[in-house]
Amino acid sequence: MRELYGGTRMRSSARLALADGWPILLSVLVVGLTYGVVARQAGFALLEISATSWIIFAGASQFVAIELLRGGAGAGTVVLAAFLINLRHLLMATALRRHFADRPLLQRLGIGYLLTDEAFAMAVGWYRRGGAGVAYYVFFGAALWLVWNVATVAGALASDRIAEPRRLGVDFAITASFLSIVALSVRGRADALVALLAAGAAAALALAGASLVAVIGAGALAPLAIFALPRSDRR
Amino acid sequence: MTLWLAIAGAGLVTYLLRLAPLVVSVRRPAPVALRRYLDALPMAIIAALTGPAIVLPNGTPTLGAEPVGALVAVAVARWRRNLLAGVLAGVASVALLRLL
Repeated sequence: MRELYGGTRMRSSARLALADGWPILLSVLVVGLTYGVVARQAGFALLEISATSWIIFAGASQFVAIELLRGGAGAGTVVLAAFLINLRHLLMATALRRHFADRPLLQRLGIGYLLTDEAFAMAVGWYRRGGAGVAYYVFFGAALWLVWNVATVAGALASDRIAEPRRLGVDFAITASFLSIVALSVRGRADALVALLAAGAAAALALAGASLVAVIGAGALAPLAIFALPRSDRR
Repeated sequence: MTLWLAIAGAGLVTYLLRLAPLVVSVRRPAPVALRRYLDALPMAIIAALTGPAIVLPNGTPTLGAEPVGALVAVAVARWRRNLLAGVLAGVASVALLRLL
């Protein structure tokens, strides 16, 4: 009886995860399709694109990896960029830790793999509303994984169909993706300042002949400008 | 080879960042300033990568199409709250401007 109850609750948690999360999954689908198209246009093979989606499994760092590799960067630069971009997951996992701490190690290995910004946000909402267990988080995380991986492959395949031989403007697709990602992440004056500063400093460095690592360094320093603002403007 | 090394390395680093707090015990929560910094970091690095691509597309100084396309991409992405719309608008405006 108890087992049955546990099973029912698990299934309803899973169903709730989809009911709450489908708008997010829809936007993951759109971004995944975009990534597939953009990566294919940048000259990567289907297998390579698919591998980034399940091995790295982090949208922003995948876009960045593609751009860096296309520009001839070494593996070290790509790994450094992924490290900096995903450093925030350390804090997210720390914040969720107490909900997962009693799970067997093997489960935690999977729980960590499924941690994305979106899964984090969903889990925070779930536990704040008094939710319990891991089914909600795991089910949403797995659904997101599936949507992301299918969408990137579908985007890459679709790209081959629409591909005209390197039309004018296609090389701008990754930059336009980055700009759109940034435009959608800016949530206030402080964020806007950081983005403009990072882009401006990086452009100046590039014109002066600096390396890609210097450009990434400029990006890593730019958020410090927040702390030059009066406290009330930092958000 | 570089490509697969990069994918494997980026994947490993990302996984470890997500996993570490779940398998090793950690201390106090991070200070507010650190959280704010890490919050803005991904966006800042991605913004930094756009700078060179706008002023030196494919390694040669821009003739003006890319800066305009960049503004269009940002404006449309924000207006439509949609990534794909921003990408398409940016690419289309660059393509048009290069024809002029």
